[in-house]
Amino acid sequence: MTISIKNNKFILTVLVLAIVLAGMTFGNIPGSATSTSVQVVDGTTYNFADYPALTHEQIAVFNYLDTLVSQPYGSWDGWYIYPEVVSLVHYQLAFMTYSIARMFEVTNGYRTGYYSDVAYDLIKKMNTTEEVYHNNSIESMEWLRPSIGYANWTEYYYPDPINHDADDVYTGGYREPANIMWTAHYALMELLHERSFNTGEFFDEYNWYMEDWNNSLTTDGLGNATEGGIWECGLIPCQPYEVWTQCNSIPILFTELYDNMFGSNYMPIWDYGLNFMNTVMQDQYGLFVDGYFVQEPMGYMDTHLSTQQPFPGNQLDAYIDDGRPYVSAYGVAWSMLFLEYTQENETIHDYPIFLDVYGKDISGDKMYIIDSYNNPSGFGTYDILANLYTVALALQRGDLTTRDRILNFLWSPYNKVWSPDGRAMHWDSLAVEPFLQSSLGYGYIWATVPVTVKDLAEPRPTEFWDYPYISEANDDVIWVYQAHWDPVSGGFILNIRVDETAELTFSNFASSPIAYSGGVMFGEFVAAEGNYKLTLEPGTYHLVIVEGGM
Amino acid sequence: MSKAPEQETPQSEEEGILEKFQIQSSEMLLWTILYGLLGAGFFIILSFIPRPYIMVDLFMFGLAPAMAIITVAGAIRGPIAGFLTGYIGTLVYDLIVSATVVTFTLTAVAFGLMGFIVGIARYDFTSGRSLVKMSILSIIGLIFTVLLTVVIGLTVEVYADLVVLGFVMLPLLTVGIPSVFLLTPLFARLWHLVMSKVMPEALVR
Repeated sequence: MTISIKNNKFILTVLVLAIVLAGMTFGNIPGSATSTSVQVVDGTTYNFADYPALTHEQIAVFNYLDTLVSQPYGSWDGWYIYPEVVSLVHYQLAFMTYSIARMFEVTNGYRTGYYSDVAYDLIKKMNTTEEVYHNNSIESMEWLRPSIGYANWTEYYYPDPINHDADDVYTGGYREPANIMWTAHYALMELLHERSFNTGEFFDEYNWYMEDWNNSLTTDGLGNATEGGIWECGLIPCQPYEVWTQCNSIPILFTELYDNMFGSNYMPIWDYGLNFMNTVMQDQYGLFVDGYFVQEPMGYMDTHLSTQQPFPGNQLDAYIDDGRPYVSAYGVAWSMLFLEYTQENETIHDYPIFLDVYGKDISGDKMYIIDSYNNPSGFGTYDILANLYTVALALQRGDLTTRDRILNFLWSPYNKVWSPDGRAMHWDSLAVEPFLQSSLGYGYIWATVPVTVKDLAEPRPTEFWDYPYISEANDDVIWVYQAHWDPVSGGFILNIRVDETAELTFSNFASSPIAYSGGVMFGEFVAAEGNYKLTLEPGTYHLVIVEGGM
Repeated sequence: MSKAPEQETPQSEEEGILEKFQIQSSEMLLWTILYGLLGAGFFIILSFIPRPYIMVDLFMFGLAPAMAIITVAGAIRGPIAGFLTGYIGTLVYDLIVSATVVTFTLTAVAFGLMGFIVGIARYDFTSGRSLVKMSILSIIGLIFTVLLTVVIGLTVEVYADLVVLGFVMLPLLTVGIPSVFLLTPLFARLWHLVMSKVMPEALVR
């Protein structure tokens, strides 16, 4: 024995080391898919695989995002905000909302406060004011002390910010015309809340924005009808002096959803602007450029370019400095993602060109997107953003290969960290870029849930709100992978894991429901004030719940 | 008197090279190609298995068994089999997962080079000292692979420096070194154990 060990000491050493190394690294392998089954109830076959599902990891990431959002509105623990990123914080809130709104659609029969509270708090955090929350407010971080562009946004008038008179329109208000990068996100967050939870709470506010944009895009802002609106390009500025396609894609999606929900016809107000984007704001590949100046910014200094920046005109690219427009992949991906519902053929046409121009292969299972083909050797915040938007775009385009390759690139350098109670999970980016941590969370959700941004432009049918659903539950001890009322077969699909004994309250069942598991009757509902309660012991259940007769 | 050995020397060197490359006859060449293709097959299969890893600060640690298949193929059947395993394995895997030929197959050449370098030496799979040599040559082969990949990334693909450093070079080194150092001798010994029972004649190289 001793001789055998002595003769094989190297091979035994490498064997032990290999086992030790392999044993400590399993935490980062991909999570398992959600299990499904097939059941026959009253002659109807229910295949759980036919219904959308969330994975355990997606829910765990949502629980992590919940810890970031569910704190006092002026608190930002775990967001890792530092001075250079304050102007990006409101985007985190907005895109987190768009990400989780797609989760709500997957399990749309699960409508307790578990989801709606987070969506509500995100809107409230987005609307934090300087007056109440001072430097911790979004108003301060996004508008009053911007770290990007030129300062004095609050002092702008159009077209003459310096010697303004009655013919100039004030455009410096935080909540007013020229801050589409906040107003549009805020209004879309509110409208998506309405779409998901049907409370009517935010109607007055988002309706006001719809009217405001209508005014901005069809008049000169002073009451006179004007083609192209106040800024004569059919688009609304983010910073008072410049318009971007990506920022305008948000109110365009809002308008589509608004029209679909309320039967209105506001979309024609965007015709001029869409044409402007698709013709003027284009680079040599036919992709969107990044920024069009509608007026010269106050204090503009054009000392570094050999070609003079035109006003109005596309922002010129300083990397190449030959008169070609400035480009940015994050803006292109974002624009294509949110505009696909409105101009599907444009996105279908541009998507492969975008991958060809901005994509970089690393290996068969890894690639990344560069932010500018004029600066291929750079890599920073906007390159990371370009990859974040492209994973959602790739999913929407059905290009799962590209989606997975970018996921492998962007997420693999970070460890998955689970909370001690096993309820929440995030990717730990503290060693690289702490501010990225929340983005990796919602970015993973929007790269992987089986609902796209485009899907959100369609409202739920009116009768949806009469479908049976889970209205209350012990949310902290359950994992709802599937919760969906099938109006065709008349069955509620519930795929759930229960960690501790939990009670679920179902609303909208016309009569006492019956649950089936494996095709046989399971459990018993208790009637309570028009609702029905079901108690589940710890375990994983695939339940089909149908209306009974009593 | 001294001409005869001078005439014989080039011949024996050529034979030595052919033998080292395991292509001294048509049959040997066929077997070498077959080993390369089999190695590529194993490489592809192992590449599809999710790879456990852990990040320690900016460094990724873990084991990539597929990389050790390239080196062990070279160790078993010489440089050509090692090269084919790395080149064809990487090329076909890339085509399967993404329908993409990455950087005109130059990345695949880089991985083939690792198998080629390991295959240049001869090994006694029952000797610990020889297995140590195999591990060390595997690391040398890996370093050449990493260098070539970095050069290709910087010159052909024009990666950003940060991407080359953080997303290509570091992971390849920190996962690759333990993988080829630890797993190559293990796989080699395992192969030797199996073949000595199943097909002892295959051990003669």
